[in-house]
Amino acid sequence: MSSKPVYKVGDEIAGPVRGITPTRIEWYDSAMLSAATNELRQVGSNIHTDQEFAKTQGFDQVNADGMIMTNWCSEMMVKAFGLHYLERGELRNKYIRPVHLDVELRVRGRIKEAVATKDGGVLYVVDVWCEDQHGTKLVDGDARVEVR
Amino acid sequence: MLGGYISDLEKGDVFKPVEYVVTSFMCSEYAHGSEEGSEFFHSAHNPAGRQVRPPTMIHVDKMRILEANCDKERRIAGMKGPDARVHYEYHAKHHSPAYVGDRLVVTGHIVDKYVKRNRPYLHYYLEVRTADGRLVTTYNDHTLLRYKPIGVE
Repeated sequence: MSSKPVYKVGDEIAGPVRGITPTRIEWYDSAMLSAATNELRQVGSNIHTDQEFAKTQGFDQVNADGMIMTNWCSEMMVKAFGLHYLERGELRNKYIRPVHLDVELRVRGRIKEAVATKDGGVLYVVDVWCEDQHGTKLVDGDARVEVR
Repeated sequence: MLGGYISDLEKGDVFKPVEYVVTSFMCSEYAHGSEEGSEFFHSAHNPAGRQVRPPTMIHVDKMRILEANCDKERRIAGMKGPDARVHYEYHAKHHSPAYVGDRLVVTGHIVDKYVKRNRPYLHYYLEVRTADGRLVTTYNDHTLLRYKPIGVE
C-alpha cells in the first residue's frame, strides 16, 4: 500500500484468525534463530516447545512465544497502513495471559483517534489486541501511525 | 552486571553494541516464520522499491545484544540460564525502515530492574541505527526473569 489509507474513529481493521499449533510455535522460534544467525536453524527445547520443561518453569503447559502474536498484530498494521506504518509507526503489546495450544487467536484493531497533523497528515491511534474464540483478551496494546 | 546470566543484569548496565548487515535471508525467513506474506519483506517488488527488514526483528536484535553481553546465557547458541524468561511487553517505534544491505548498529541499556507481584522484571531500552547514523528503531521491552514467584522452587 503506497496510497494514503483513510479511516475514521471506530473503524475496525482486520487481523488474522489463526489456531495456535506446535508447528506454528516451531516456525517462529526457528525463524528467530535463523534471522539471528543468517543460517537455517531449528529451535530446541524451551517453554514454548517442550511440555516437561515448561512445567519445570511453573507453567502447566507450553505457551506460544509472545512475538508470534506481535508479528500477527504487525501484519495487520502493514496490511492496513503499508509503508506509512514501516516509516512512521509504533506498536506496543502487553502479553497479559499465556496463549496455549489449540486457542483460536483473533487479532483485532480499532481506530481510537484520528488527529490532523500540522503538515497535512493524520496521526492514527489504534487499539490493538488479540483474543481467543471466547472473546477473552490475551494480548493488549495499541499502535500509532502517521499518514502523510 | 554484564558477562553473566541475563538475570545478573542490573539497572544502568550499558550493553556492548552489536553490528550486522541485514540480508535477504534474514528478512524473508523471519517473515516466513511468522506467516507474514507481505512483499515488503520478501523482495524489492513493493512500494519501497527495496526489501525491508520486518520492524519486529527488533526482537532478534535484543537476542543478538544479549548474546554478546551475557556470556553464561547465550540463548542463540542454546545455552540456558537458571530460569526461562517470559516476554511481558513489546514497544517499538519505527523512525525509518531498514533495508537489505544496511549495516545496523544495536545499542542499549537496562533502564530498570524491579519486582512486581513477587516476580523480577527487566526493562530494556534499545536503539537501532544504520552505520551512518540514521535512526531506525527505538525499543522498550519488559521481560519477566522467572515465571515462578520469588522463593518458589
